[in-house]
Amino acid sequence: MVADRPVRLPYCYVEKNKTYASVLSLLSEDGRLVPLCGPYEPMLDDYVVAYVQEVRFSGYNININGAANAYLSGRETAQKLQLGDVIYVRINSVDEVKSVELTDARILRGGKLIETDAVKIPRIIGKKNSMIGMITAATGCEIYVGRNGYIWVSEKGNAKLAIETIKMVEAQAHISGLTDRIKAHLDAQKSAPAPTN
Amino acid sequence: MEIIKELKKDALKRILLQGKRQDGRHMYDYRPISIQKNAIPNAEGSALCHLGNTQVIAGVKFDVATPFADRPTEGVLSTGCELVPLASDSFEPGPPSPESIELARVVDRGIRSSGCLDLKSFFLEEGKVLALYVDLYVVDYDGNFFDAAALAAMAALTCTRMPKVEEGKIIRTESTGLLPLNGKAVTCTFAKVDDHKLLDPSLDEERGMDGRLTIATCGENVCAMQKGGWGAFTKKDILECVDISSEKSKVLCSLF
Amino acid sequence: MAKEKPQLIINGKRADGRSMEDLRPIKITAHVLNDAQGSALVEWGNNKILAGVYGPRECIPRHDASPYRAVVRCRYTMAPFCSLEEHGRSGPNRRSHELSKVIREAFENVIISEAYPRTQIDIYMEVLQSDGGTRCAAITAAAVALADAGIPMKDLVCAVAVGKIDGQVAVDFSKDEDNYGESDMPIAIAPRNGDVLLFQMDGNLTREELSNALEMAYRACAKVSALQAAALKAVYDGPKPQASLVLGNKQ
Repeated sequence: MVADRPVRLPYCYVEKNKTYASVLSLLSEDGRLVPLCGPYEPMLDDYVVAYVQEVRFSGYNININGAANAYLSGRETAQKLQLGDVIYVRINSVDEVKSVELTDARILRGGKLIETDAVKIPRIIGKKNSMIGMITAATGCEIYVGRNGYIWVSEKGNAKLAIETIKMVEAQAHISGLTDRIKAHLDAQKSAPAPTN
Repeated sequence: MEIIKELKKDALKRILLQGKRQDGRHMYDYRPISIQKNAIPNAEGSALCHLGNTQVIAGVKFDVATPFADRPTEGVLSTGCELVPLASDSFEPGPPSPESIELARVVDRGIRSSGCLDLKSFFLEEGKVLALYVDLYVVDYDGNFFDAAALAAMAALTCTRMPKVEEGKIIRTESTGLLPLNGKAVTCTFAKVDDHKLLDPSLDEERGMDGRLTIATCGENVCAMQKGGWGAFTKKDILECVDISSEKSKVLCSLF
Repeated sequence: MAKEKPQLIINGKRADGRSMEDLRPIKITAHVLNDAQGSALVEWGNNKILAGVYGPRECIPRHDASPYRAVVRCRYTMAPFCSLEEHGRSGPNRRSHELSKVIREAFENVIISEAYPRTQIDIYMEVLQSDGGTRCAAITAAAVALADAGIPMKDLVCAVAVGKIDGQVAVDFSKDEDNYGESDMPIAIAPRNGDVLLFQMDGNLTREELSNALEMAYRACAKVSALQAAALKAVYDGPKPQASLVLGNKQ
């Protein structure tokens, strides 16, 4: 139980004027609910990393790691996309049956797409981009983090270390003192000899 | 289809709030029931049951079969069910749906656990027993095929002729009398809509219901139960339904 | 050859030494598979049941999709090697079709499916080894797998069987008790508000025995529920581990 009054929160439901968590979560002492797992809930103006799943006559069906595919109209993008293109894109609208429309697509070429749990994204970004900034600085990679849990890492820079570190953040997101541990990990790896390939 | 269902559900709930049912029945009333025995004279036993506009035919046939390995001295009881496509636009031809399997198994459990059949008397010789097949045909569907099917099955059993068996073969033209029964098992099905419990739901009520509870009784005892639908029942609901069904079962048993 | 009915209660104890209210040893492990979004292994007495959950994902075929909610699908199957008897047939039979249906209905009650219209959620339950009470163990496993998958739910469903053996009401039947007992009543509840979500019964019970059995089932479910919560907590005790399946092999 989260609160003994009805509150509208993500990953919660209200029954008989009480609010309960609907997924496995941590409840902090000041009453904040931190979900440990759960599907991605598309929200207006979220930036997400996604890929083209189907090319249609007037647009594209895009996999945004949500429950259903999203739609990107051909008019919303200047570039022509191909099947399997990875894009960084903004959510333009979400209607009452959770149909999602996208806009402002930008193709991410090369690089690697990694999948993480969407609820862990706030930790991966960190307070004021601190965590992701630290990883970018240490590895020299270009990294795009989507709110939906997909992350794109460029080929240039130490991509192997970047991916390894992001996976580490995801696995330990619920344990305190994370930033210090990640910093120590990155420092240790940096002083080690760079990988030969 | 889906949208019509939601609209009907709204209408149903509005009427229930006024304490009424759509066809004017009381919460714990059955629709008119009529049972015609021996409707299919070629079968060893049969009955046609009308429950309001729901119509179910039950047929009983005997065969010689090998007993189950774990019960070599007992006859075999097998209940099948066919939701015939002509009965409703929601029934489709093809392999049995989960609904028809559930119906057959609930009726089967009711008959089997009531102990009204003495399966041991179906023993013929080592490795050979009589198999009793009860087949249920839902031919017109207007809700609550559970009670209609259970009534038809039980009524068919009460008029089943035991065929004569000679040297391990059935002689269907000759009979040795009626199938002996110890008691009758009947079922009562309740639909739960919000906090209301309705006995014998009609098709509209069934489409709008949250959950369903079928209770089979034999004499004073409960012999099988099954909940269906995603709605929940509380402990109190269950005990109340059991009380009502043991009362109603006396009426049902007196019908055939 | 048919075995004689064994004596199920000896000196007030059951054949395996349990009292009427004791459950068999239950071990629940969450997060045992990597590809499934959520998974769980339940070892309940000699039962071994593996559950996996996928979804919410695009509903296929598309005409099955609902504009109001996610479609929940359940598949309960028994492995051909799961029993002490002859080789079974793989895939679902009539019994497992019925069980899949009633289990699906139990979960439809708690899953907040309105949040994901036009999608489906798949729940797979595989009985690897069976020893009586598989459907209750399967529900218990599936509930943990759903929570592990992060599917929004109102409650963590738990289940237990109660019934009558040698004239006495008891809880959680072993295979022998199931075969030779007088009555069997599997029941699944939502522990927070006590709603009954799955309810089946066969055999003979009086009104009095039924009422006692229900009370006993609620007490047993509370124990199962605590084990489920502990299993989920264990996943997050340290860094979230790589999933791996470990089957206990003691008899």
